[in-house]
Amino acid sequence: MSENTNNLLSLSSFPRPIIHIDCDAFFTSVEQALRPELKGKPVVTGKERGIVACASYEAKALGVKRPMRLWEAKRHLPQLICLPSDYETYSIYSKRMFSIIREFTPDVEEYSIDEAFADLSGLRRVYRTGYPEIALKIKVKIQEQLGLTVSVGVSASKTLAKIASKHEKPNGFTVVRANELHQFLPKIELGQVCGFGPNTVALLMKKGVRSVWDYVSRPEAWAKQLLGKIGIELWHELRGEAVYPLVTEEKTDYDSISKTKTFTPPSSNKDFVRAQLVRNAESAFIKLRRYKLRAKRICIFLRDQEFRSWGTEAELDRSSCSTQEIGPIINELFEKIFKENVLCRLTGIVLSKIEPDNTVQYSLFDNVPRLQSYLAINRVIDEVSELYGKHKLHLGTSLWLAKHKQHISERGDLPERKMDLLKGETFRQRLSIPVWAIKV
Amino acid sequence: MPTQIDLNKTLATLKKFYRDKKRLPSFSEIQTLFDYRSKSAASFLVDKLIEKGLIEKDSTGKIIPTSAISSVVKVLGTVQAGFPSPAEEELLDTLTLDEFLIKKPNATYIVKVSGDSMIDEGIKEGDLVLVERGRQAMPGDIVIAQVDGQWTMKFYDKKNGKVILRAANKKYSDIEPQSELLIGGVVVANVRKYK
Repeated sequence: MSENTNNLLSLSSFPRPIIHIDCDAFFTSVEQALRPELKGKPVVTGKERGIVACASYEAKALGVKRPMRLWEAKRHLPQLICLPSDYETYSIYSKRMFSIIREFTPDVEEYSIDEAFADLSGLRRVYRTGYPEIALKIKVKIQEQLGLTVSVGVSASKTLAKIASKHEKPNGFTVVRANELHQFLPKIELGQVCGFGPNTVALLMKKGVRSVWDYVSRPEAWAKQLLGKIGIELWHELRGEAVYPLVTEEKTDYDSISKTKTFTPPSSNKDFVRAQLVRNAESAFIKLRRYKLRAKRICIFLRDQEFRSWGTEAELDRSSCSTQEIGPIINELFEKIFKENVLCRLTGIVLSKIEPDNTVQYSLFDNVPRLQSYLAINRVIDEVSELYGKHKLHLGTSLWLAKHKQHISERGDLPERKMDLLKGETFRQRLSIPVWAIKV
Repeated sequence: MPTQIDLNKTLATLKKFYRDKKRLPSFSEIQTLFDYRSKSAASFLVDKLIEKGLIEKDSTGKIIPTSAISSVVKVLGTVQAGFPSPAEEELLDTLTLDEFLIKKPNATYIVKVSGDSMIDEGIKEGDLVLVERGRQAMPGDIVIAQVDGQWTMKFYDKKNGKVILRAANKKYSDIEPQSELLIGGVVVANVRKYK
């Protein structure tokens, strides 16, 4: 054997065949797939927010980065095409991608809107071919049916698969066998590992660890001492021993629920900014109730034109899912953080310490009849929303919104899909099939 | 190992899973679904359910539903537990309009017709054609194709081994792609909504 076998971390290629699939410039790729005239052009999405949410590879090549402000990007590149985000269509594409992967294996983790992990264990027998070939089949099928490209990493753990999919992008296909790690890892910088933040990287550099290979070459005890539990987990993951399991269940429980919204033009009108915040709170509570949850902790924040955010938080005596009950508390918090004469561009609310809404415990001083009337009101609000759309019944505070639209702008700030409705569609409900915008 | 199985609850959980995913859970999914510590507990449950005739195993050992689980589920109201009524069983073999029109939901797109090149085929301006991406075009199919940079909808045909795109309108002559032909998809249905 010519190779130094001492370097081998594993004797088999895929002790656990895990792949990571990552869409290339997802939002803009969807737009380009549905609107062929955008192909090959610098495109960004995020027009409604005034920032670059996603930039096409053509735009990236010309120096447009995320999250540049739009006017900045536009000044830099006048021919840049700015589109409002069409999250509805992106979500349909996302679901389709997961569904195509599930045609191959049920073990799929929906890691984010455009990223998935999948475990291919045992599929070799079904397809009578190796794991990389199966991964390639999945890639080709996604590209064929969705009309956009994905980058795929095939390796032996989630951490390695993710590094591999990033290794070559766009339209990449990178296979890292566990028994070839000694050739691959020396080329990988520490910052490319999901889990090593800038601080960890700085610490490791201090200790003389220059590459991922250096890290896995140290003893396990050393990793534990320096970085604790995470350190050991990543040490194993990077050596091709899968530690992190795939979370294959669709997400139904939440650690926190947040709602934020940008509005233009920015405002320093107290009532208007408060109304924006209250509207976010209403949306957050609607979501909370939809999943039959209650929250105990509330955090609110504002953001100014310089993208500085500030906020405050409060913990309730008793968790709640009632907008009426929390309204006064939000108001109180808002009074604390609102700054006169500062233009705000965004408000947000985060609900945390969430628990299932199945038992109610009243305290001695609670006004029980009032709390029960809140429950009744919530029920009515949710039923009215079901029938006539969200926010048809709302708190008086958000009446201030009625005078303004979310964004004062021309019609171009709404996605095409919401402007050009098909017969029978409404502004609120559309067919769950993407519309391919070509003239035939 | 579960010592007692609440049949109604178990059935309701499986029905919900089936309704959401259009398939039954794998053994490892059963494990998480019912919070079992081991796969053998899941296998125990599966055996019990087979014994009761609520599910079956196919030739590969995967579990498949019987009518007790796959019966058409009411959209509103509480989840149906227990045994379906005969009327529901009769509906087992029915298709929704979605399933009837769309065979490959992941690859199907809507194209709104704007021209009149397929008018003799009865495809009018404003119709919504359902297009399947990534499907092999066969002579006689209606395809959405990009020819020399232009998108068009035409009949797909072959003449002396060469591809020909033919309009269903006498005004337009056949197209023989010169430099480039890209089949974007095959039209599988046409939808025209009147009201």
